[in-house]
Amino acid sequence: MIQEVQRFKPFSAKPIALLSEAGEWRGPFDLDLTEEKLLTMYRDLVRARLLDERLGKLQRMGKTSFVAPAAGHEGAHIGVAHALRPGFDWLFPYYRDMGMVLALGVPPKELFAQSLATRADPNKGRQMPAHPGSAALNVFTAASPIASHLGPAVGAAISMKLRGTGQVAVASFGDGATSEGDFHAAVNFAGVQGAPIVLVCENNRYAISVDFHKQTASENIAVKAHAYGMPGYVVDGMDTLACYYVMQEVVERARSGHGPALVEMVVYRYGAHSSADDDARYRPREEVQRWRQRDPLRRFKAFLERRGLLDDAKEAALRESAEAELAAALKEAEAAGPVPTDWLFDDVYAERPAFLEEQRAQLEGVTRG
Amino acid sequence: MAQLNLVQSVARTLASEMARDERVVVLGEDVGKRGGVFLATEGLFDRFGPDRVIDSPLSEAAILGAAVGMAVHGLRPVAEIQFADYVYPGFDQLVSQAAKLRYRSGGQFYAPMVVRMPAGGGVKGGHHHSQNPETHFVHTPGLKVVYPSSPKDAKGLLTTAIRDDDPVVFMEPKRLYRAFKEEVPDDEYLVPLGKARVRREGDDLVLVSYGGSVAETLKAADALAEQGISAQVLDLRSLLPWDKEAVLEVVARVGRVVLVSEAPKTAGFISEVAATISEEVLDALLAPPVRVAGFDTPYPYAQDRAYLPGVNRILRAVQAVLDY
Repeated sequence: MIQEVQRFKPFSAKPIALLSEAGEWRGPFDLDLTEEKLLTMYRDLVRARLLDERLGKLQRMGKTSFVAPAAGHEGAHIGVAHALRPGFDWLFPYYRDMGMVLALGVPPKELFAQSLATRADPNKGRQMPAHPGSAALNVFTAASPIASHLGPAVGAAISMKLRGTGQVAVASFGDGATSEGDFHAAVNFAGVQGAPIVLVCENNRYAISVDFHKQTASENIAVKAHAYGMPGYVVDGMDTLACYYVMQEVVERARSGHGPALVEMVVYRYGAHSSADDDARYRPREEVQRWRQRDPLRRFKAFLERRGLLDDAKEAALRESAEAELAAALKEAEAAGPVPTDWLFDDVYAERPAFLEEQRAQLEGVTRG
Repeated sequence: MAQLNLVQSVARTLASEMARDERVVVLGEDVGKRGGVFLATEGLFDRFGPDRVIDSPLSEAAILGAAVGMAVHGLRPVAEIQFADYVYPGFDQLVSQAAKLRYRSGGQFYAPMVVRMPAGGGVKGGHHHSQNPETHFVHTPGLKVVYPSSPKDAKGLLTTAIRDDDPVVFMEPKRLYRAFKEEVPDDEYLVPLGKARVRREGDDLVLVSYGGSVAETLKAADALAEQGISAQVLDLRSLLPWDKEAVLEVVARVGRVVLVSEAPKTAGFISEVAATISEEVLDALLAPPVRVAGFDTPYPYAQDRAYLPGVNRILRAVQAVLDY
């Protein structure tokens, strides 16, 4: 249900933060999360960071062709995922959201399999790496054309409203996506319909090499929400708890029938746009270094330490366990073996039409010949 | 059976499918109280209400994008694009999302949706109200493309399209919306996608067409009959999938074929049909397949009728094929 008191005011000039850089709770309300929940959030931050590192290594080893580094986005990813009901609400992620889908429950084996294109990939090796999806968990399969998933996310949310399912859709995207026509068309329709959707912009300040000020003349992304008749929030995206609490509020607001919201999470990607990009061409190293000082993992760790929930020994055990989980998942994903060639012709349509049957036969002949 | 014109048949079919299946919703610009600019959704708003007949913002990207999401979430949306010429702002949603969703998700997600769009010329609409963009969709794996030419087929094909589990682009020849009436079955009536219809039997040659051009093609066949030439007329009805067997069977039998479409000639759908004929039944041909198509110009306003493949152009092509 919608909370009686709204904790956050939309359109604040300063990004909403609840933790200081040193990990002190600065929230204007009492923390109401259990110890277990807090530790799970931290564990997911670590898992997301380690997954990112593993994928980077796989790319350097030539085992996968592409990665979209997500380090620096983890606070946003874990904040969003933990505000949703896994397997009930829907997530429409973009390609940098590996940590978000991991925290929502998509098995790391599937994420590795998708990046390696093995049989264990639920997408059957159809997409380039960093494009996960899971029908079992209502995670819409990511697509590459920027902002093209926002219309479908709004459509699903309208369906949730019409059918009275009590679900909420969340769609995430980068700052570059807000320049696309699809963004404006989708957010406008969501506002008109009062659809239960939260639109999450992970503003990492760069669309590949183009910086934020060439993307928009507005002071931030959240302010655009004014034009679509919904509240907009600017959140410190390096503050996991701020991301979580703001999301929790607007998700429940949407669930209660009060319509959509636009949430801008100010994050930073430490790495390049992708493994095919050299960010040294457009970003000063000092800037990257400066943002690394604001790391979401470090801040959350300091917060937990202050509360006596984490120490070096616990931290080491947690990392070891996450490393082991990912190593086992990677092994399983690789062991599944390559995707068979004749899967090429499946899933174009519900049933394979005659012309694809013919083309399949042509390929078989060549393979055998 | 009711005597209906094509647009009445579309409206009745939408109503009966919405009554049959509560998942079916209609969305688009002006589809609600107005009943659509061509009245193809007339009466639906009063009968089914605003939750199932959704007046959308003026945005093809929003209409088609939302239709994908509705379909993924369990509805059966029938989206209307007011004129086929306006589909381009929503093109990305059709080709990047709807068409590829089943494939890119390994069959986990799919989009059972229909996109209706009045298409074609002959209504003095200039180029932004007269085009035939079907080739863009036929060139997109994952979509199905249907283009009926009669009220009865419109019912049978639209019913099938709505119940289909794949995204279907359903093009309606707007100059035939009110051109003639036909007996349309009152009860459930389905026509499978990918099956051509013989509109006229003949032995001397075959005229293959679809959509709005079928009307001129039939007139040409009448004119030929007066000259003692017997032309079979084959209406493809579906372009993806298309009825290759029916075309090859009749071409192999009569040896001569003229293909008629009002879409621009270069790389148009009938070029695919001609190429397939050449690949598969070349030996049976008594003359090369000839295309009668729209010209490779934007659709003109003042020369509307000259642009369309009319009876005279079809007859000239037939003569060339017979004289070869």
